[in-house]
Amino acid sequence: MTYTSLVRNLCLTLLLVGTGLTGCKENTISEGVLPYFEPATTDADGGTWRTVLLSSAGSITVPTPTAITSDAYQTELTSVKNGMLTSTPEQNTAVNYWGQGGVVRWNQIARQLVAKYNTAPVYNDVTGQYLATDPNAPVASLPFATRLYALLSAAQYDALVVAWRAKYQYNRPSLNRQNIITRVPVADVPSYPSEGAAIAEASAQILTYFFPNEADYIKAKATEHKQSQLWAGINVASDVKAAETLATAVVAVALNRARTDRFSNSADTWTSLKAKAPYDVTWQSLEIPARVPVGPLAGRVKTWFDSTAVTRLAPVAPPLTNTTAFQTSLTEVRAVADSRTRDQWATADYWNDGLATYTIAGHWNLIAEQLIQEDHQNELRAARTYAVLNRALHDVTTTGWQAKYTYFVPRPAQLDTQIKTSVLMPNSPAYVSDHAAQSAAANTILTYLFPVETTWLKKQSDAAIISTLYAGTQYRFSIDAGSQLGIGIGTLATNWAKADGAK
Amino acid sequence: MQQLIRLSLIVLCVQLPRLATAQGLMDGFMKGDRKASLAVTYSQETYNTYYRGTTPFRDPNLGTVTTQAVNLYGIYGLGYDLDLIVTAPYVRTEASAGYQPKQEGFQDVTAALRWEAFDYKFGKSRLSWLFALGYSMPIQNYVNDNMLALGQGSKNIDGRTMLHYKSGGFFLTGQAGYIRRGPVTLDRIVNVYDPSQVNPNSGMKVNVPDVAEFIVRTGYATKRVYIDVWGQQQTPYAAGTDIGPGIPFPTNAIGFRRVGGTLFLRLVGRLGLNFGYSTTLEGQNIGKSTRLNGGIIIGN
Repeated sequence: MTYTSLVRNLCLTLLLVGTGLTGCKENTISEGVLPYFEPATTDADGGTWRTVLLSSAGSITVPTPTAITSDAYQTELTSVKNGMLTSTPEQNTAVNYWGQGGVVRWNQIARQLVAKYNTAPVYNDVTGQYLATDPNAPVASLPFATRLYALLSAAQYDALVVAWRAKYQYNRPSLNRQNIITRVPVADVPSYPSEGAAIAEASAQILTYFFPNEADYIKAKATEHKQSQLWAGINVASDVKAAETLATAVVAVALNRARTDRFSNSADTWTSLKAKAPYDVTWQSLEIPARVPVGPLAGRVKTWFDSTAVTRLAPVAPPLTNTTAFQTSLTEVRAVADSRTRDQWATADYWNDGLATYTIAGHWNLIAEQLIQEDHQNELRAARTYAVLNRALHDVTTTGWQAKYTYFVPRPAQLDTQIKTSVLMPNSPAYVSDHAAQSAAANTILTYLFPVETTWLKKQSDAAIISTLYAGTQYRFSIDAGSQLGIGIGTLATNWAKADGAK
Repeated sequence: MQQLIRLSLIVLCVQLPRLATAQGLMDGFMKGDRKASLAVTYSQETYNTYYRGTTPFRDPNLGTVTTQAVNLYGIYGLGYDLDLIVTAPYVRTEASAGYQPKQEGFQDVTAALRWEAFDYKFGKSRLSWLFALGYSMPIQNYVNDNMLALGQGSKNIDGRTMLHYKSGGFFLTGQAGYIRRGPVTLDRIVNVYDPSQVNPNSGMKVNVPDVAEFIVRTGYATKRVYIDVWGQQQTPYAAGTDIGPGIPFPTNAIGFRRVGGTLFLRLVGRLGLNFGYSTTLEGQNIGKSTRLNGGIIIGN
């Protein structure tokens, strides 16, 4: 080899080696950046809005704050100013994180915890054992998740209504009006009591009740949230203190409801329910080995909206398996499963929201979050949006679950074993489809609250409703009945929202 | 020299699904200037135990998973020291139990350049140092987030270097490689809690972990017969997840240790037959699979 060709070879070698060693650190998941916004409204009449858990906002008194001319207040104010001048990078990160909106951030935390606890025992044939699960940890299935979201949102909303009432009762000027420029944009509302601290305290206590193993994590988050209000220059310490007290009072009412809503107690076991089912071929677990179904007694829970009105919306009896209507539906499921396109698979996967996810209700909470941000809703309005949505979704689940565990309609693959599903088979009876019911209810409510997104919401909801047919886990009559149920309860919720005092 | 060129087709570059065997991209035998060949192979791979993380697991809801593939593998010698290799498989994967549908279709197409940079002769032996660079991408938009998926769906860059020693009929090849895997977009929003993620549930685009690979191959090659045994170790390099409920499959960190053997027989003229067998000794987020393949090779 000549000298020049040797050098050429060496250079090319080094180039190749260099290219091969570029293994840089990458994030597992790509994400976008959310913009900040100043809320569109201040809602000075927020204290007059109708509450959910409390009989009225006035049932919780918030003590009179010290005057802003007092030494005590001036000391607090100076302490906030100095804190802002000497802020650390960790504090700034916390301010930026919570500056997106307290209600939205706690809803995200709730969704993450639901996803973490939404597990089912997994069986290992080699060992003949189920993988270990913590006996103290709750199973965050759909009934559990919707109950959690509803209670959390209701507690946040009521706490904020009380806070808003006190804000405009005492009119302590916001820090922006006292020549402190807040680090993140906030609504121009009076600062006492602190809305951020009210949200933090209420959310932390509710979430700790549902996930006792997460107490330390939740406490740390709540402390950071409350302190971020000081670091951002939004509130002083006395604003935060008063908010903590009022939130604790609201949560006491909320947890009282949680302990008495019949979620965990019943005299019947599910096998006796199955034996009584007015149906010819009843559901069997299609898991190997067979497993107890998901939340069989969750249909007995107390409803949020008027129970008579909700009961009237209960789905009608499904067709028996030997009727033409049923057989046509079953044939349709088989036909769709056999000819499933790539797009249908993608739709079914997108809306599946099965194990280890935030559930279909959490998916609609995520959509609500996007709409809240788009609409520049302040904390009170955001809490109202979630409270209306999640109470409806809980009632939908409750009623849907009643139907599931009355009729015990089998999944299509139980009757036609050739039906292959594109998602993991849900371990619960088929009628009614909770995907269809939740999505129809969410669509009704969100279209009322955000009319500008009507077309987009309809498209999302249509895809969500049909997704279980594409997946091969539901019949069309089940989806139709579910949609009807969802629209019915969604209408109850929007009627409530029309009359709650918010415009 | 003729038999070396002919026998360079032995190693099949089969970019099979992540739950099936993916043998080394290539071997150390150069094709030769303006010489070409084409191999058509059928393979079958089965497993009933797979690794969740590094723990062996048998899921009664899956049963035995069988993957069948037909692979096309072509080499063309652009120069005496530069080869172009192109390969494309058609794959079908099926589970014997449960309700998962079978996955079937064209998988990934791969194109690579192999360059023999240096060679040293001493006596009757020859030692060569080679480099290779390859690129692979999915042929069609197949489902990638599934236990039976045809592949991960990522676009990959594959870089290798190898030392190839030949003395008479005996040869020994050592190979080191790094596969840089690109991101994929899932059909769904990711729910898995990742502490580095500030806004949860906002992502559908995930990163597929890179892998580093080492292969040692030794055997005997003559005009009519080629026989070898090989060992392959693949280790995930970037951080990845383990198989679990709700965890996306493309983000799993895949690794394995496999051994196998190959046999090639030249029949007549430019036609030959080849057979291969491999088994998995250890693995990470992959099936503990056994693979058999056979095919014909046409060319010089």
